[in-house]
Amino acid sequence: MSVETGSSTLDRLWAPFEAQSGSRRSLLLMSPLILFELLIFVVPFAMLVRISVSEQSQSLPYAEGTFTIASYLEVLQSGLLQGIIVYSFRLGIIATAVAVVLATFYAYATWRADGLLKSALLFSVVLPLLTTLVIKTYAWVPLLAPNGTANNLLLAIGLLSAPVQVVPNTLGVVVGQVYIVFPYAMLAIYSVLSTVEWELVEAARDLGAGRARSFFEVVLPEIMPGITVATIISFAWSVGAYSAPALLGAGSDRPFALEVQEQMLLNFNWPVATALSTIMLVLMFVSIVVIYAVLGRFGGDVSDAA
Amino acid sequence: MRLESDRLGVAAFRLGYATIFVAMLLPIFIVIATSFSASGNLQFPPEGFSLRWYGAFFADIQWLRAFDNSFIVGIGTTVLATFMGITAAFGLEARKGRLGGLLTPVVILPLLIPPVILGVTLLVYFSALGLQSSYIGIILAHSLWATPLVFFVMQSVFQRFDWQLRDAGMDLGANPIRAFVHVVLPNVKNGIVVSALLAFIISLQEFVMALFLSNFQTQTIPVLAWNSLRQSLTPTVSVVSTFLILISVVGLAVAALAMNIDFVAKRLG
Repeated sequence: MSVETGSSTLDRLWAPFEAQSGSRRSLLLMSPLILFELLIFVVPFAMLVRISVSEQSQSLPYAEGTFTIASYLEVLQSGLLQGIIVYSFRLGIIATAVAVVLATFYAYATWRADGLLKSALLFSVVLPLLTTLVIKTYAWVPLLAPNGTANNLLLAIGLLSAPVQVVPNTLGVVVGQVYIVFPYAMLAIYSVLSTVEWELVEAARDLGAGRARSFFEVVLPEIMPGITVATIISFAWSVGAYSAPALLGAGSDRPFALEVQEQMLLNFNWPVATALSTIMLVLMFVSIVVIYAVLGRFGGDVSDAA
Repeated sequence: MRLESDRLGVAAFRLGYATIFVAMLLPIFIVIATSFSASGNLQFPPEGFSLRWYGAFFADIQWLRAFDNSFIVGIGTTVLATFMGITAAFGLEARKGRLGGLLTPVVILPLLIPPVILGVTLLVYFSALGLQSSYIGIILAHSLWATPLVFFVMQSVFQRFDWQLRDAGMDLGANPIRAFVHVVLPNVKNGIVVSALLAFIISLQEFVMALFLSNFQTQTIPVLAWNSLRQSLTPTVSVVSTFLILISVVGLAVAALAMNIDFVAKRLG
């Protein structure tokens, strides 16, 4: 194909747009994504909510065309499901706290490093981030199981007298979940940190501030937007944790994601599964707004970090 | 005294990040090491060295089919997400408007919703449309996650571009599409390569949504890996995982060559 025909194809492509105004054109460019979000995100969620207020059915996943809030009452009144909701939030809070503190430290170290070391530290975060959840979760089994590497090592050097059951156990779930969210938290903080000028810290140190003080009083307020994003991401994903509790947890490690899956695929009780999902989404949304408001008071405009 | 505690502080600081560095890469190292195990136990350090689990992988039609499925879904997601992400970022760059301001938060939202809820929601929706367990369904689901990344990478790429160059091209008589293809595209093509790679890797690695939306015929590698893990821990899963890690490393290397690792890392955060 010659350059000429290529150009005339481009001219023909342009023809229908020629009459449009600038804002119409940019709307046209955005329309595939807008349409996609409407059809694959907004409408499906409307349907989810609709099913959650349908009656349960013996023979079908749900009774079409009915209306009742019975499934919501069932979820809110069941002690078992309340326990599951509480477990999800506790896991969310613990994993988030650990991940964000470690991520802030690691982001700071990466920011201060340069050359090959900086690239190595970034690589160590980006590679796990681009690795499937399945691998990130099961890799801990040979490491932390009672007959695994860590226990054998500690028994051999005499630091332990009997193996510790980290996996399957709640501690294993927390380790796995922190490992899953850490890269995202670290990069959210790092991307804000990299815009901070080191001279600011030097100035504070010249004025007599110690290492810790210059971090807490100079750096931390500057990177609060990144920490807020890191907290929100870690929290949302840890509350919704699925693979870490399923593979690294004991029978009592039961977050809502496992319950939803079971109600959906095993019990075919769609109203309860969707009602539980909706309740969790509302609770998570409220928590995120609270996190945003609380952390926002400590500094900066979060919108910088996106 | 001050110097002494300073040196101690620096040592603790280095030990701290060195520990995290090891902890981040150790699981990946373990997966690769156990894939060469000579025994059937998933143990680290592995007992002996052999390639028998690699042989078992290539002899298993189920794994090979899962590989094909992952590539079909991955390429579909890459095409769809890259197209929607680039056009939207370009439209937003030209003129924001009220709808454009609303688009950004809506595009981010799927990333914050637990994948199990997304999986359930789309399972219900696709069942009603007759798309359950289809490639199209999984591609659409993965695009919910891949498109935001393309969108944000391309937004920052477009922001760095000097739009006066394009205006100059148009002053010389090129229509906007021609100016885009001949002036803008050569300048942003690295950004497009990076976002397409990220979209592909995200699709390749995603498993919770795919778990809900696939069946025996259409299951992707992570889904099959998960299902076989739940039955027994064998080194075959490590073999498959090693391939997945390798693809990510190669993709990351290409992306880092195109844009540098610092840029890629910041866009992922």
